Amino acid sequence: MLEARLSQSMVLKKVVDAIKDLVQDCNFDCNDSGIALQAMDNSHVALVSMLLKAESFEPYRCDRNIALGVNLTSLTKVLRALQNDDLVTLKAEDAPDSLNITFESSTADRISEYDLKLMDIDQEHLGIPDTEYAATVTMPSSEFKRICTDLQAMSESVTIEATKDGIKFSCAGDIGNGAVTLRNYQNVEKEHLNVDIELTEPVSLTFSLKYLVNFCKAQPLSDRVKICLSNEVPLLVEYLITGTSFLRFYLAPKIGDEE
Amino acid sequence: MARTRASKGNDAAKKGDSSTTTSTSKSKYTLSPPSNSPPKIFILPKKATNEARIVSLLHPRYATPTRYLVCPETGFYEFTRIAAPKSTPRSWLIQTNGHETSGVDAETTSSERDASFGTYVTSGAELFVATPIDPLFLILPTLIDPDAKSEKRRYVSSDDHFDRIQEESPHLWEILRWGEGRVRRLLEARLGAVCDTVEAGDESVFRFSEDKLVTEVLSKARRMSTQPLPRSMEEKFVVKPLEAPVLGLKRQVITTTTTTTSTEAPAETTQDDSSNSASANRTPGSKAEASESQSSVSSTGSGTSLTSEASTAATPVTSSDVEADSAALAEALRPAIVASAEVISLQRLRIAFNFLCSSYVPASLVTLLQAKLSAQPEVNFAPLDNYISELNRLKHEAAAARSAGDFARKRMLDDEELAERAEKKRKKEEEDKRKKAGESRGVRELKKVNTAGMKKMSDFFKKKT
Repeated sequence: MLEARLSQSMVLKKVVDAIKDLVQDCNFDCNDSGIALQAMDNSHVALVSMLLKAESFEPYRCDRNIALGVNLTSLTKVLRALQNDDLVTLKAEDAPDSLNITFESSTADRISEYDLKLMDIDQEHLGIPDTEYAATVTMPSSEFKRICTDLQAMSESVTIEATKDGIKFSCAGDIGNGAVTLRNYQNVEKEHLNVDIELTEPVSLTFSLKYLVNFCKAQPLSDRVKICLSNEVPLLVEYLITGTSFLRFYLAPKIGDEE
Repeated sequence: MARTRASKGNDAAKKGDSSTTTSTSKSKYTLSPPSNSPPKIFILPKKATNEARIVSLLHPRYATPTRYLVCPETGFYEFTRIAAPKSTPRSWLIQTNGHETSGVDAETTSSERDASFGTYVTSGAELFVATPIDPLFLILPTLIDPDAKSEKRRYVSSDDHFDRIQEESPHLWEILRWGEGRVRRLLEARLGAVCDTVEAGDESVFRFSEDKLVTEVLSKARRMSTQPLPRSMEEKFVVKPLEAPVLGLKRQVITTTTTTTSTEAPAETTQDDSSNSASANRTPGSKAEASESQSSVSSTGSGTSLTSEASTAATPVTSSDVEADSAALAEALRPAIVASAEVISLQRLRIAFNFLCSSYVPASLVTLLQAKLSAQPEVNFAPLDNYISELNRLKHEAAAARSAGDFARKRMLDDEELAERAEKKRKKEEEDKRKKAGESRGVRELKKVNTAGMKKMSDFFKKKT
C-alpha cells in the first residue's frame, strides 16, 4: 500500500495544475523511490515527465509498485479544496480503485478527506536517455513565461537560436515579427535573476508557442527554468521542485515548413 | 355434349394398341394393392362413334406428344385435365355395376370386365374432358418451313405434308387410314382452309398461306369474343387492363368479390380448361387462374353470380344487393375514363387471338401472325390502342399523384427517423460532454494546435521494454 505525506502540499497542486492542460488522464507510478509520472499529449508531440522523490515526503511508504490512474481534471477539483498550509496525505491500496487524499490543517484541527475514483489507463512508457545538449540555458522562469506569451501574440511558433552571443527568441507573424535576445547575466545579489548560457555548438530550432506557453504553467513551481536544446532532438524544459524532484517537458521541434 | 363417365376399362379397350394392363381384378374381401395404373375418369362426347380412339399426336404449340381423341366421324378432340389444386386434395369414388352401359363408348366393353371392375377409390381426382379441337392446329406444324418465304414455298400434296411429321407422331399416319380415308379427307379440308390449293390432276396440292391462317385464327377469335371470355380470363385480361385509375379520391380499397359463378357457359369452361391442360409451359398466372376457377367450380356453396360487365366487376361488391350497390359505388368512384363497348370487344378479340396463338400455334408463327393481324383491313384496333395510350397517360398521372402522397408518408417516416437521429445526437453529445468534463480547457486548446512538421515523441524516445 501507499502512504505519502507531503508537507509542502502546494507542490502537488502546482504540479497537477501544470500538467492538466497538457494531459487528460495519466498514471502516477508509485514505487519505493517516489512518485513518477510520464505522459504525452493527445498529439504525441510533447511529453511530460515528473518525479517526486521519496525524500520530498514525510513519511513515505510504498511496499510495491502501484499505478494510480487519475483523471487530472478530477484531481484538480479535489485539490481545489487544498489550502495553503495544509498537509496532504495520499493513501492507496495495493490494487486500488480509489485514491484517498487527506488534507490536514496545520493550524486548525480540520481534516478533509477525499476519495478519488481511479481508472485503468493503458499508457506506453518511453525510455528517455540522458542527453548531452548543445545548449543549456538557465533563466528565471517568469522571464521565460513572459517571452513565450509575448511572442505568442505575434505568431504561433518561435525560433530559438542559441549562439555564443546569447539566446534569441524570434518569431514572424502576419502583423510583423519580433525577437527577444538574452545574454549571459550575473546578479550577485539576486541569483534567481541570473541567465546562464552554456553552449557547445550553436543551435537553432523552431517550436510551437502554444505548447511552450502551456509548459510555462509550471512556472509557480520554481523560480528557475532550464531549457536544453540540441539539433534534431526535442527541447527539454525543466522545472526543479524541492530537492532533486523535477518536472520536465519535452517538445518536438518543428521541421520543414517554417512559415 | 353429353356427360359420360368412362372407366379405365373402357379407356383401355378403346386404345387399340394399348399395351398397358388395365385394372386389377381381386376378391371383394381382400384389400387389393394399389394399382400402378389407376382408372381415370373421362368425359367423352356422346357423338363420338365407337371407332374413336385415343392417340398420341404432337402438340401444335409445344411439339410434345399429347393425347387426343380422334373420331373418324366427328373429328378431333383434345383432353382437358380438370384437377383440384394440390392444396385441397380430392379423390374419386368410382362404382360400376355389371349392367351399366356408360354411354356410347362403353358398348364395346365386355360386361365381364365391368363386373370384375367393381368399386374403386382413386386418389387422383382428375377429370379429363374431351372437347373438340380444330384438326387444323394439329397439322399446322407440318406446314411450316420457317426458312422459306411464302412466295418460295412449293405446292406439295397432302401426303408430303403429312410425311414431315411422321417420325415424331406415327399415330397421325395411322389415323389417316382410318374410316376409309374420312379422317384424311377431314384433314385435307382443314388444310385447304389455310393453304392455297391447286388442282393437279385428280389430286390437289397445297401451299401454306400465312394470310389464310391469320384469317382463320381471327375468325376463331371473333367467335370466342362474341360473348364474354371465361371469367378468370375476362377479369385478368379484359377488365383489369382497361380499368382506369380513379382520380380525385385518395385511396380506394378494391376488394374483388369472391362470389363464384357456379354455372359457366360450356364454351367458357372448355376454353378455360384447355388452357389448363394444354401444356405445362403456360404462364403461371393463367395456370393459377385456371386452377382457381376449378376449385371454385367444385365448391358447392355458390353465391350470387356476378354479371361480368366491365364496370361492375371492377367496383367492390360486398352486399347481395349487387345492382344498387354497384350503381352507387360506380357513381361515387367514377373512373377517369370508361372503356366503351367497342373498346372492350376489341380487347376481347385481341386477347382471344393472343390466347389462340399462345395455345395452339407454333411459336415460330406467332410473331408473324401478330404482325399480320395488325395489318388486317377488316379489324381496326385503333380505338383500342387510343384508349390504351390514354389509359397509360392517366395511370402515369395517378402514379405521380400517388407518389406525391408517398412523399407525405415518407415524411412521416422521416419524422421518426429525425427523432431517432436527434436521440442519437443527444446521446453522442452527452457522451462527448462527459468526455469533455474530464478534459481541461488547455487540453482542448492544444488539440487545435497545428502540429504539422512535428515528429512524435516515440520517434525520439524508444519504448521501454
